[in-house]
Amino acid sequence: MTVTPPANLRELFLGFLSIGARSFGGVMPWAHRVLVEERRWISQEDFTSIVGLCQFLPGPNIGNASIVLGRRWFGIKGSAVAFLGFFGLPFLWVLALAALYADFAGVPAVKRVVVGVAAAGAGLFIGTALKLARPIARKPAALVVVAGCFIAVGVGRVSMLLVIPVAAAISYYLSKRGLL
Amino acid sequence: MTILVELGLFFSLLSLLSVGGMPSVIPEMHRYVVESKGWISHTDFMEMFALGQAAPGPNVLITSLIGWKIAGVPGAFVTLIAMCGPAAVLSYWVAGVWERKKDAPWRAIAQRAMAPMVVGLILSGGFVLATPGGAPDWRLWLIAALSAAGMLATKLNPLWLLGGGAILGGVLL
Repeated sequence: MTVTPPANLRELFLGFLSIGARSFGGVMPWAHRVLVEERRWISQEDFTSIVGLCQFLPGPNIGNASIVLGRRWFGIKGSAVAFLGFFGLPFLWVLALAALYADFAGVPAVKRVVVGVAAAGAGLFIGTALKLARPIARKPAALVVVAGCFIAVGVGRVSMLLVIPVAAAISYYLSKRGLL
Repeated sequence: MTILVELGLFFSLLSLLSVGGMPSVIPEMHRYVVESKGWISHTDFMEMFALGQAAPGPNVLITSLIGWKIAGVPGAFVTLIAMCGPAAVLSYWVAGVWERKKDAPWRAIAQRAMAPMVVGLILSGGFVLATPGGAPDWRLWLIAALSAAGMLATKLNPLWLLGGGAILGGVLL
């Protein structure tokens, strides 16, 4: 399969716009579809490695991918254009939805439904965590780090500003010793 | 005005901590805006989270909804820019280094070190959202458990699982 980078900034903008605009229920599948299948800007292997990098970086994964790819093709201008294309429409829609919701938030039935959606969303987080945990499930040291972070942040409600540096130091040490 | 500055500073900090994306920092966001500052209630937080999940687009937009709830449209802009900006600058810079150091040993070590932390943090996010005020509510836990199971066992678009949550919420809560 041949890959051809976007010809100009306009094309780059429209490509990322179409990812943001369509990504109901998750961005990743749409990013793959647009970048690899429809527009053929990058290869499958390239997509996997960029997603891997962006999961490791702080910030929204595909938001970061827009920065990384925009930079590759058009430098800093490309980063800005891809990022704005990606966020533009979803930002407007989410605000419109919130404004609409504000009119109905007082209705108890609506509130129950929305809290149900949030609980299901919490379940999606748990499902995601379990998926990510599969490759490390047989490593006792990794499970200790998982449990430590969960107990401190989730149950103990200790600030992440404290937990992250400590956990990162311990985790890096364990990883260096080949335990992760 | 001061609240916008506070939001901007806090979310800029969160931005740099958000390894693995927005889900990792949900517990800290909740701790700050609900528990520590009391700007919004747990229910408000849940509602904004639900809207953000159901709307199209990256889930980081939940932060702009929380900003909107706290400080209106300016709050929405400030939190989103603060949440994305510092991480974007870091990504721009790291992308170059990362590509050049493809074979450096610390790269693989760092990547493996990150995985269990991200798992623990995202798990915390799910737990905090489904446990208002630290008080267990079996109905919320049931909905969360069913949706997690549905995600792991099927290839359904997550929107269906959120829809299931909507129905169960209407019936059970």
